[in-house]
Amino acid sequence: MDLDIRKRELVKEFSPMLTKSTLTSKIWIGILIAVIATGLLAFVLQVVKGHEVTGMRDNVVWGIYIINFIFFVCLSYSGAFISGILHFFKTPWKNAVSRIVEIITVLSLIVGPIFILLCIGRLDRLHYLFLYPRIQSPITWDIIAIMTDLVGCFIYLYLTFIPDFAILRDNSEDAPNWRKKLYRFLAIGYYDTETQRKTLHKLTRTMSAMVIALAIVAYSVLAWIFSLTLQPGWNSSIFAPYFIVAGLYSGIAVIIIAMYLIRKFYHLEHYIRKIHFTSAGIILLIVSMLYGYFTFSEYFSRWFSHKISDAHLLETLFGKYFWQFILANYVGVLLPVFILFFKKLRTIPLITFASVVAILGLWLNRYLIVVPTLETPYLPIQDTREEFVHYTATWIEWSLSFAGVAAFILFFILLMRLVPIIPMSGIIDYERDQDSKKHKVSTQN
Amino acid sequence: MKSKLFTYFTCTMLFGLLLSFGVQAQINLDDYKILYKFNTTKQVDNTRLLEVSFVARNNEDKTDILPLYGADIIFYNEGDSNDVKLGTVQTDQEGFARLVMPADYKYITDAEGYINLKARFKSTDALPSKSKSLAVKDLFLELVCEEIDSVKTVTLRAYALDSSMTKAPVEELDVIFSVGGMISRMPFREETLEDGEFEFEYEANVPGDKDGNFDLYAFIDDNDDFGTVLVSAKTNWGTFNKQVQAKKNTLWSDVAPIWMYVVLSILLLGVWANYVYSAFNLLKIRKEGKAIEDKK
Amino acid sequence: MKEDKDLPQENSSRRNFLRLGLLAGGAAVTGFGINALAQEDEKPALSGEKVRVLTPDGKMVEVDASSINNYPEALITPEESRKGIPGKKFVMVIDLAKCKNARKCVESCQKAHKLDTNEEFMKVQLIQDNPEASAYWLPKPCFHCDEPPCVTVCPTGATFKRDDGIVLIDNDRCIGCKFCITSCPYSARQFNWGHKDKFDDKSQPYSPETSVPAAEGTVMKCDFCPDMLREGKLPHCATACPMGVIYFGDRNEDIVTNGSETVRFSELIADRGGYRHLEHLGTKPNVYYLPAVNRQFPLERGFDIEPEILERYKDVPVVEEYLKNQNS
Repeated sequence: MDLDIRKRELVKEFSPMLTKSTLTSKIWIGILIAVIATGLLAFVLQVVKGHEVTGMRDNVVWGIYIINFIFFVCLSYSGAFISGILHFFKTPWKNAVSRIVEIITVLSLIVGPIFILLCIGRLDRLHYLFLYPRIQSPITWDIIAIMTDLVGCFIYLYLTFIPDFAILRDNSEDAPNWRKKLYRFLAIGYYDTETQRKTLHKLTRTMSAMVIALAIVAYSVLAWIFSLTLQPGWNSSIFAPYFIVAGLYSGIAVIIIAMYLIRKFYHLEHYIRKIHFTSAGIILLIVSMLYGYFTFSEYFSRWFSHKISDAHLLETLFGKYFWQFILANYVGVLLPVFILFFKKLRTIPLITFASVVAILGLWLNRYLIVVPTLETPYLPIQDTREEFVHYTATWIEWSLSFAGVAAFILFFILLMRLVPIIPMSGIIDYERDQDSKKHKVSTQN
Repeated sequence: MKSKLFTYFTCTMLFGLLLSFGVQAQINLDDYKILYKFNTTKQVDNTRLLEVSFVARNNEDKTDILPLYGADIIFYNEGDSNDVKLGTVQTDQEGFARLVMPADYKYITDAEGYINLKARFKSTDALPSKSKSLAVKDLFLELVCEEIDSVKTVTLRAYALDSSMTKAPVEELDVIFSVGGMISRMPFREETLEDGEFEFEYEANVPGDKDGNFDLYAFIDDNDDFGTVLVSAKTNWGTFNKQVQAKKNTLWSDVAPIWMYVVLSILLLGVWANYVYSAFNLLKIRKEGKAIEDKK
Repeated sequence: MKEDKDLPQENSSRRNFLRLGLLAGGAAVTGFGINALAQEDEKPALSGEKVRVLTPDGKMVEVDASSINNYPEALITPEESRKGIPGKKFVMVIDLAKCKNARKCVESCQKAHKLDTNEEFMKVQLIQDNPEASAYWLPKPCFHCDEPPCVTVCPTGATFKRDDGIVLIDNDRCIGCKFCITSCPYSARQFNWGHKDKFDDKSQPYSPETSVPAAEGTVMKCDFCPDMLREGKLPHCATACPMGVIYFGDRNEDIVTNGSETVRFSELIADRGGYRHLEHLGTKPNVYYLPAVNRQFPLERGFDIEPEILERYKDVPVVEEYLKNQNS
């Protein structure tokens, strides 16, 4: 196989994805921009009028923003975890999905902290976090962890992009000038020589291991923001492992959904095959069961020992939040398990459907972790103002949440215009390996 | 004609409005009872405080108390032939008028040795005049705290000036002994003094301040003859054993537990060292790539 | 010409005089009328900066309340406020047997800290420990814990514990992350959600010891009134309580007082069985409670408050019944 010819072929195959924009894609981008614009408007309103415009009040001081923050950061960490494992263990079919996973990792780690910024009362004093940090505070740990993780995942993503940039740089004569310049700059002189390839592989491998460790440590830190307090419902010893498993759960689900959408819209059936979906589905099955197990442990021990504060919390969960609880922890767990358990049901659409249910269930689960605890403090609330007793999110919070999701999707689409979603260097490596294996076999014979 | 009328009307209208504003709320003084109280205290430094409390209390709502503000109260020391004016004080926002007489002031006393004091408020259009008198005998208190034969002894001696202006021990006197706190005094013993002297062993174990110092007070509360008298002595009998020291290097102190710094440094160093290593290697790749490009 | 004017002038001068008199009278009456309409009730609302006094002329006026602090000497800057009053360890004792929900503590605190009607640093809760127990009023300030979970979690050090035991908040440093609010198990902290005009009041320089003026997007709570303590006075709530429920003092001195009674702190706690709320959480609060035994007043005396405030307690069985009986 002639490398150069193969590379040219690949670029030809993938360049329409990078350059062409169809009507549907334009419409999509338009919708996304509209949603983001509404979100920006909501943000401006919030800055001008103060946090009064949200639904948060003195008892439930953390609402949808924090929930979205945990949700996106958990996507990120699980993405880091999964891509780290894929790379480190050189899983055979990893190539098709690895870039999707890595992009999800980085993007959700960018979108997540933006939500936390929305929850901060005095954005003009953000630099105090760096001027006067207190190392005993879990928030300081979280900032350090997220920043470190962001840099790490970014470096990791870039490392995987480099060979593709090199291929694109060498094979895009009919691309516009700015693209050529961009590729040249970003490829930093990678010419796939022996030394370069070796260095790059070494770096990627170290980073993949590090990113797994970072993911676990950093997400535990986020879980500790809740579990190191005294509040009923939060002060639990298994919060950190629980969050990690929940993160994996949602991460796999988002990966499956992303695979489905990308496969459909970019007609990549050749690359993203059923095996990817079934493997991801099996992982989702295992993780759902783990997640269900952890959730059950959490609530079962509270219910069984029924301390007063726990009993009040459960009362609220099964009272006001009954349907959300059922959806999140029963349907959200059992439905994916059911679908993925039976081989016959593991079709691509059904697996994707299971993932959608899983994601919604997980988001609701995060809501049920944050809000009901704040609504049942140790000392009774005893206030007559409804908004101080129960939390209802306002349109500002909802529009900002959707804007966050839209931003995530938009950045994803834009990144896909920069670099093909299936790593070309990966395909080449794979084929090269196949060739050398065939060669070995033939020489042996 | 019309314009003239108009100007007249507006001018007088404005004038009338101003008048009414100046008057503000015209309350009905019949709803209020005027309370005028006068008392005197001989303070710790032997100065004498003359205090008048001048308020109006609503007859129906006993919690509605309006202090008289800015009323002139004139204090006198009444003598046989004439009254010596001691001073004029205006009542403050709480309705108190306070005059402090210096410790060595020579008062005019009457035949039985009483100092006659009067506090007078001159009548105004709205309020009638008020005057209250009281008679006090000057009481001299000596409070001594010593350790006699390793027994903490508190001695209080009380003298008054009799008709011949010589110091004579007081026959009977109710005294409250108390310990000085930051905000108020805490009584620990009530006694009746006889023959002008009282001695007792101090047994209360009050902590005092961090050096074991505290003030011990003897307090005569509104005696018929002597009014209110207060005297104090400093002692070092506080049993202050230890001040609760705030622990350092805790979760809530400025400086965190040391192990936190250590662990964080190790983790961060390890991770960021790897990032630097990666960046360094990327630069190496770039250098090699540049070399190849130059060759081409 | 002069002659012409003589007669009409005489008459016109009298007429003018009468006119003037009528006008003046009418104007004065209208003026009074307008003024009376403007003042709806006899007692004008106090803004918190003025006091009502009677002048010697029998008029009631409002004058500026003399501030306890003489600025700029009395100003304790945020830097200085991190060090406490030396040698002190402040402690509060609340006697639940005497509390009848007069809410004077709540009101005086609101006045002193320029709070709105529904912002309460000192909250009064109605607690019924178990179905057999009788309900009692629980005045709840910030407990200024010795091991405060709120201080631990603050990422910028905006809230801090001083050597004299008081936990304060520095509004200039707070970034409004609200972690401390979620962290306090006693729900003692509040947040300023939006802009209020009182934040722009620059008449008093800001000090964490007075908590005035508050700032938008920051946290606030009971501060044990260090500005009063520096003057040797009790906090506002303790002074205002008509029943002498709130004792305050220095644990190092072992003396607490409620304004009229001064007692040994250790004896008070030992004799009356003083306890702290939610002791098992390990926060080590500095507010002790004396159990609600030998109640001085029946609980129902405390129901004589605004109906909206009574609504707050509608989940407590006693109040539920009371409201039901009221409606029936």
